[in-house]
Amino acid sequence: MRHRPLSVARLLAVLAGLLALLALAVTASLCLGSTPFRPWQLWQAGSDAELARDIVLNLRLPRTLAAIAVGGLLALAGALQQVLLRNPLADPYVLGTSGGASVGALTAMLLGGGALAVNLGAGCGALAVTLLVFLLAGRDHSASQARLLLTGVALAAFCGALTSLLLSIAPDGLLRGMVFWLLGDLAGARWHWALPLLGALLLLVWPFARDLNLLSMGQQPAHALGAQTQRLQWLLYFVSAAATALAVTTAGMIGFVGLIVPHALRLVLGQDQRLLLPACALTGGTVLLAADVASRIVLAPQQLPVGVITALVGVPVFLWLLQQRAR
Amino acid sequence: MRRIACLFVFAALCCQAAPTVKDDRGQTITLAQPARRIVTLSPHLTEDLYAIGAGNLIVGTVDYSDYPAAANKITRIGGYNGFDLERIRALKPDLILAWDSGNPPQQLALVAGLGIPVFYDNVGKMADIPGVLERLGVLTRHEAEARAAAAQWRQRMDQLARRYAGKRPVRVFYQVWDRPLMTINGQQIISDALRLCGAVNVFADLPAIAPTVDEEAVLAANPEIIATSGEPGMQAGVLARWQRWPKLAATRNGQLVTLPPDLLSRKGPRFIDGAEALCRAVDKARQP
Repeated sequence: MRHRPLSVARLLAVLAGLLALLALAVTASLCLGSTPFRPWQLWQAGSDAELARDIVLNLRLPRTLAAIAVGGLLALAGALQQVLLRNPLADPYVLGTSGGASVGALTAMLLGGGALAVNLGAGCGALAVTLLVFLLAGRDHSASQARLLLTGVALAAFCGALTSLLLSIAPDGLLRGMVFWLLGDLAGARWHWALPLLGALLLLVWPFARDLNLLSMGQQPAHALGAQTQRLQWLLYFVSAAATALAVTTAGMIGFVGLIVPHALRLVLGQDQRLLLPACALTGGTVLLAADVASRIVLAPQQLPVGVITALVGVPVFLWLLQQRAR
Repeated sequence: MRRIACLFVFAALCCQAAPTVKDDRGQTITLAQPARRIVTLSPHLTEDLYAIGAGNLIVGTVDYSDYPAAANKITRIGGYNGFDLERIRALKPDLILAWDSGNPPQQLALVAGLGIPVFYDNVGKMADIPGVLERLGVLTRHEAEARAAAAQWRQRMDQLARRYAGKRPVRVFYQVWDRPLMTINGQQIISDALRLCGAVNVFADLPAIAPTVDEEAVLAANPEIIATSGEPGMQAGVLARWQRWPKLAATRNGQLVTLPPDLLSRKGPRFIDGAEALCRAVDKARQP
């Protein structure tokens, strides 16, 4: 597959197309749910209108915005990690940020904290691991970023062990909520921080997209071409860690979006980060939103974990794309 | 004639010597003599034995076997969903009471391999509970106490049924857990209690026993009362989330009810206490 060089027209056309897809998903999300209420009932008279308002505006709309924010954050974080580590297996969870968040959140639950304490615990855990990785691997000047990757993977494994430990000592009553948190959940997720910060992080890294293009060719070529590689790498690292921490804090561990969306877009749109980064944010949001709609209506009013849907649908589509590429 | 009478006397003597019952898997359990060292694999089975005066026979039990208070002193052999076989064996029990629908099947298979008689309890309906008490009475030779406890149980069930029959049906959302938001369907034993109270479970028709539902479905079902039971590890104020919806009938009428802990979540002798508390709450919601 050969990709045309990026022009302003192409950039705008692709983003407009993705925005249209997102709008479609938003419409579906507002119209579909476990009950048959539809947004246009808001303007009808009668007692149903009040119920419809509660359901559409106070339940479906916040959840829709949260899904867009979390999906966008995960896809953005995944795209940045893949450039930073130059490793196709990299996803937002590979460097331990999310592992730290899990340990923090589960500890807060075990201590009997409420929703606020759990979010706070997740945020602190993510921050702690992010800083620890930075301190341990901060002087990695190698081209492959091997030390950074291995430090992150080791800490992620350590956090995984701590998570298992917390799960095994938790009383039964709490266990359900803890496992549910680990599976990822958008019910009751708050978008008020996540959505504006997604925009802010995107605006922060987008001006460096050209340098990221150089970096994805390797550190030495990038350095030769005038990029400030060391500083750039740490910018990448902290932006992707912040995005991951924010996503995990908002909705728990939702898998596969951060790995698959950037890869799929790279297969379809080419390597240019100037297009790829905003496209990832939009598509990640669309994909997670679509998965969330499915999780709400497939067995309605029963709910499925959204992470199960992203994996069940996302992986076959991704494998198909990969096959297309091979031909 | 006399010979037949002799046979009866002999049969009575023989069965006195070797208690025999059928458990909930349908297998016949015959003990050489009444059980004297019992291991229970669930808190409600511990309560069952205390209810028939046989609590002192328990030599080992699982975590959360905390009722009556004396049960706290019994040796622990793990949790209901994972227990230490070595410790069970070392306690040298002559009877193990297993919770067929709660204990993990792989672990129960290992327990069965110990060669110790296992009574599998699988209570599905409220009416099954007194039957378990009676059969445990036979196995421990506490028949009289067990029969009395069972009779009293059935009487209290009848009383509830009579008191609330023909009363206006009340729509109830029973919240098992808040995050994920879980409830029960019509087959779960708590729905049995709801029926006795003249109440209707708004999610009775869902296929899963303990389904996860969303808030949207609860708002649309518009229950007149939202009830939950306190549980270990559960936060206070798990029903506070419903205050956000003042138009919901249960919120509007102040019918967000937290019932005493453990009563409705254990399929043992105190379930009837839970049912009575539930019925009182439902009846309060019934008053205009």
